[in-house]
Amino acid sequence: MIRTPLRPLARILEARERGENPDAIERENLRLRHEEMRDRLRQRAESRLLVMAVMFFCGFLVVGARMGVLAASEASEPRAYAGGASIRASRSDIVDRQGRLLATNMSTHSLYAHPHQMIDPTRAARELAQIFPDLKEADLIEDFTGKRKFLWVKRKISPEQMQQVHDIGEPGLLFGPREMRLYPNGRLAAHVLGGARFGREGVNAAELVGTAGIEKHLDELLRDPARGGAPLELSIDLSVQAVAEEVMEGGMKLLNAKGAASVLMDVHTGEIISIVSLPDFDPNDRPRPPVTGRQSDSPIFNRAVQGVYELGSTFKIFAAAQAMELGLAAPETMIDANPPFVVGGHRIGEFHNKNYGDLTLEEVIINSSNRGTGRVALQIGKERQQQFLRSLGLFDPVPLEMVEARGGQPLLPRDWTDLSTVTISYGHGLSTTPLHLAAAYAALGNGGRAVRPTLLRQSAPQQGARVMSERTARNALDMLRKVVTEGTASMGDVPGYSVGGKTGTADKPKENGGGYYEDKVIATFASVFPTNNPRYALVVTLDEPVETSGSEPRRTAGWTAVPVASTLISRIAPLLGLRPEVEQGQAERVLRVSSQ
Amino acid sequence: MSYLEYTVKSVPSGWRKVLYLNWPLVLLLSAVACVGFLMLYSVAGGTFQPWAEPQMRRYVLGLAAMFMVAMVPIWFWRNMALLAYLGTFALLIFVEFFGSVGMGAQRWIDLGFIRLQPSELMKIAMIMLLAAYYDWLPLRKTSHPFWVLVPVLIILAPTAFVLIQPDLGTALLLVMAGGLLMFVAGVHWAYFATVIAAGVGGIYTVFLSRGTEWQLLKDYQFRRIDTFLDPSSDPLGAGYHITQAKIAMGSGGWTGKGFMQGTQSRLNFLPEKHTDFIFNTLAEEFGFIGGVSLLILYVLVLLFCIFSALQNRDRFSSLLTLGIGLTFFLFFAVNMSMVMGLAPVVGVPLPLVSYGGSAMLVLMVAFGLVQSAHIHRPR
Repeated sequence: MIRTPLRPLARILEARERGENPDAIERENLRLRHEEMRDRLRQRAESRLLVMAVMFFCGFLVVGARMGVLAASEASEPRAYAGGASIRASRSDIVDRQGRLLATNMSTHSLYAHPHQMIDPTRAARELAQIFPDLKEADLIEDFTGKRKFLWVKRKISPEQMQQVHDIGEPGLLFGPREMRLYPNGRLAAHVLGGARFGREGVNAAELVGTAGIEKHLDELLRDPARGGAPLELSIDLSVQAVAEEVMEGGMKLLNAKGAASVLMDVHTGEIISIVSLPDFDPNDRPRPPVTGRQSDSPIFNRAVQGVYELGSTFKIFAAAQAMELGLAAPETMIDANPPFVVGGHRIGEFHNKNYGDLTLEEVIINSSNRGTGRVALQIGKERQQQFLRSLGLFDPVPLEMVEARGGQPLLPRDWTDLSTVTISYGHGLSTTPLHLAAAYAALGNGGRAVRPTLLRQSAPQQGARVMSERTARNALDMLRKVVTEGTASMGDVPGYSVGGKTGTADKPKENGGGYYEDKVIATFASVFPTNNPRYALVVTLDEPVETSGSEPRRTAGWTAVPVASTLISRIAPLLGLRPEVEQGQAERVLRVSSQ
Repeated sequence: MSYLEYTVKSVPSGWRKVLYLNWPLVLLLSAVACVGFLMLYSVAGGTFQPWAEPQMRRYVLGLAAMFMVAMVPIWFWRNMALLAYLGTFALLIFVEFFGSVGMGAQRWIDLGFIRLQPSELMKIAMIMLLAAYYDWLPLRKTSHPFWVLVPVLIILAPTAFVLIQPDLGTALLLVMAGGLLMFVAGVHWAYFATVIAAGVGGIYTVFLSRGTEWQLLKDYQFRRIDTFLDPSSDPLGAGYHITQAKIAMGSGGWTGKGFMQGTQSRLNFLPEKHTDFIFNTLAEEFGFIGGVSLLILYVLVLLFCIFSALQNRDRFSSLLTLGIGLTFFLFFAVNMSMVMGLAPVVGVPLPLVSYGGSAMLVLMVAFGLVQSAHIHRPR
C-alpha cells in the first residue's frame, strides 16, 4: 500500500513561506484519506451486496421454480417399494364367439396393516373380527402388537367391507387396489376357462396367473401388455354352452350317471362350440385337487379333454370307412358275421349274444355287429389300421389350447396283436377322450380331411390333410344316418336336422385291472348333423348311466346317450342357426310323430 | 461514519419518530402475518382455536414490541449488543441444564406467559454483536486473520450449544447468517472460498468412505441421506413428511383447491401442518399463485431491508439491517426448500406464518431494530 504522507514536506515548506498554518494541510489530507477509505469501503460493500443480491435472486428463483414444478406435477400417492412396482396386473378379458364376457377383471381391494402406525390395535382387531367373521380377534391383536411392520389382513375385500373397515378410522389399516379375475357366468364353461389366482403380490397390485384351462395355457398371451386390452375371442358360444350344460346335467341326473361329457365341434373350422364336463365347479372359487379318491371323479377333472375311455362301437365306422377307402368293400358288400369267430384264442361275441348271419357292410354298422367289424378289420390289417387311426389323430393328445389337453393321451395296447386289431375296430383296447372322437367324426363330416380342434375363434375352414376321399366320407355319413333311422340309435332322430351317428356302449374296465364290470358302462353317442350338409360333430358320453323305466335296467347308449344327444341337438340346432329341413319321404313320418 | 460523527439534532425525536418509521415494511409484515392467520384458521378446520387466535394476540404483542424497540435510539442498541449476546448465551447454557424438554429437544425456558427459546433470541443477539464488532473494528483490520477469528468464535460458541440441544436447523441458520454477515462486512473472499472448498471436500470424502472400512458415518446415517435424496424410497418412514408435503403441493396445482379445501392438511396426512409445513397447506389451497404471492411478499420485505441498509450511512445500522434481512431470508429459504424437498427436513419455521410464539416475537423485535436504525439514520 503506497501511502501519501499527511504532511508532505514540500507543501509544508511552501505553506510556511506563505505564512499559512501547516496543520491545515494535514487536516485537509486526513479528510481526503478518510473520504478515499469510505469510498473504497462503499465500493466493496456494494460489490458484496451485489453478490448477495444475486444469491437472493437465485434463492427466490429456485424456490419459485420448484413451486412451479410441484404445482405442475401430478399428485399421486407414493408407491411403496414392496417389489410391486414391476407387477403387471392387467389381464385380457375372455369373450365368447359373439363377444359376450366369459372372464374379466374386477377391481377390488386388499387390506393390509402397518401395526406401527396403529393408534388402537386392540380396538382395530375387535372391529375387524366383527367385519370378517373368519378372522380371530386374539390372532389379530397378537399380529398388531407384534414386531411386524407389515402384514396382510385380507387379500380380497368387497366394497361394503372396505367401507366398514374405513369406518373404523384406524390409520394403520390400509387398502391396496387389487384386480381380481371374475367369471360372471359362474359355472358356465368352467373347465374351458379353468381359473386364475394371485401370483406375486405387492401392496398396489398383484399378478393374476392362470391356474388351469385356457387361462393357464394362454397365460403369457393374456398378460401381454402389447395386446392393449383386446379381449381373447373363443370359439365357444355362450348360449349353446349354457343349453348344453343344462341338457347334459338333466340327462346325467335322469340316468343316474356319475359323470357326463359332451363336445360340439364345427366340422370345417375345428372350432369347439361347446364343451361340457360334469360335474363341474365355479371358477370364481376353484376347488383344490382332491387329496383322496380318484382324480378322475373330481369336479375339476375335465372328462371331455382329460378322460380317456374305451368309446366302444363308435369306432366301428372307422373300420367301415377304411374298408371302403381301400376298396375292400362297398356298403352293400356282404360280410360274414356268423359265429364262431375266434381270434388269438378269444371268442368274439355280439351284444346279447345275437346272431346276425350274413350282413352287408351297411348292416354291420346299423346293427353294430362286432364280428362283422372284426372280420373287416382283419382284412385291413394291423399296419393300415394303425396308420388310418393315427391320421385321424386318435393316437396323440389333442393339441387343444388347454393345459389339460396334454393329459388326454390315448391308451394304446402295449402289444398290437390281431386280437387288438379286432377289438379296437369295435372300440375296445384303445382309450381316447371324447374330444378325440369328435375330431375324428368331424373328419367324416367335412368330406375326409383331418381337423384339429381349437378353442379360438377361426375365420376360415381348416385345410387339413386328407384322410379319406369325399366319396368314402359320404358313404360313411349315409351309414351313420341309417344307424339313426333304422338302427341302434333310433331315438337320436331329430326331425328336420338329419342326425347321423353311431352308438357305443363299452363295459368299464375295473380300476385295478382284471377284466370289465358287468354293470358299469361308458355310453357314447357320436354324431354328425345335418348329414345332408354336415356342419357339426357332437359327442355325448355318459359315465355309468342306467335307464330304469323298463322292467330291467338298461345301460346301452341307445337308451342313454342317444336320447340325451337328440334332446341336445333339438335344443341347440336353432341356436346354431340351422333351419329344419324335411327330408324327402320323411314328411309322412314327421306328421305321424307329431300327431301322436 | 459512526454515530459519534453525525449531529443528533437532525434525527427526529419524540412522537415525530412515528412518522419516520419504515411504514411500508410494517404493512408488509402485517400482510405476511395475515396470511399466517388465514392458514392457521384453515388448518384448524375453520376455527380460530387453537392456533389462529393466540397467533393474532402474539402478533399484536410483537407489533407493540417492535414499536417500543423502534423508539429507542439505535446507538443504545449498539451499546447493548455485547450485553445482549452474553445474556442470551447465558440463557442458552441455562436451558442446557434446566430447560424443559419439548419435541425431544431441550429448547425452552418457561417464563409463565411465554416459553422462551434462547436459540431464537441468539440469532438476533449474534447479528447485533457482529454488526457492532465490525462497526468498532478499523476497516483495514477486517481481513486480518486474528480479527477474523474473533467473529468466527462469536458464531461458533452458541452454535455448539444449539447443536447439543439438538436443533440442527437453528444451528445451520446461525452459521449461515453469521457467515453471510461477515461476507457483507467485507472479510476477504479467500476465507469463504477456503471454507466452502473444505466443506465440499469433506462431504465428498464422507461419501467416498461409504462401504469402505474407514467409513465416516454409520449406515443408518447414510440411509437418511438416501431418503433425503430420494424420499420415495421410504414413503412411510423417514420420507413420510416430505412425500406427503409434495403430494399436498402437487394436488394444489396452479390455482389450488380453494380456501379450506385442502385435504392433505385437514385430514392430518401432513405432519407439523401448523408449524413447519404450513406452506404446503397454503400451496394446496391456493396453488402456485398463492405460493408465489407469499414469495413476493417476502421478496418485498427483503428489498425494503436492503434499501434501508443502503440509505443508511451508519455502519452498525447498515450491517444490522442487512443481517436481520439475511436471517429473515434464510428462515424462509430453508423452510421452503425443506417443504418442497430441496433440503433435508431440519425444522425451521416459516417466518411470521408458522405457529409459534417466541419465533414470532423475536422476529418482530428484530424488525424493531431495523425500524430504529431507519428512524435514527444520519441525515
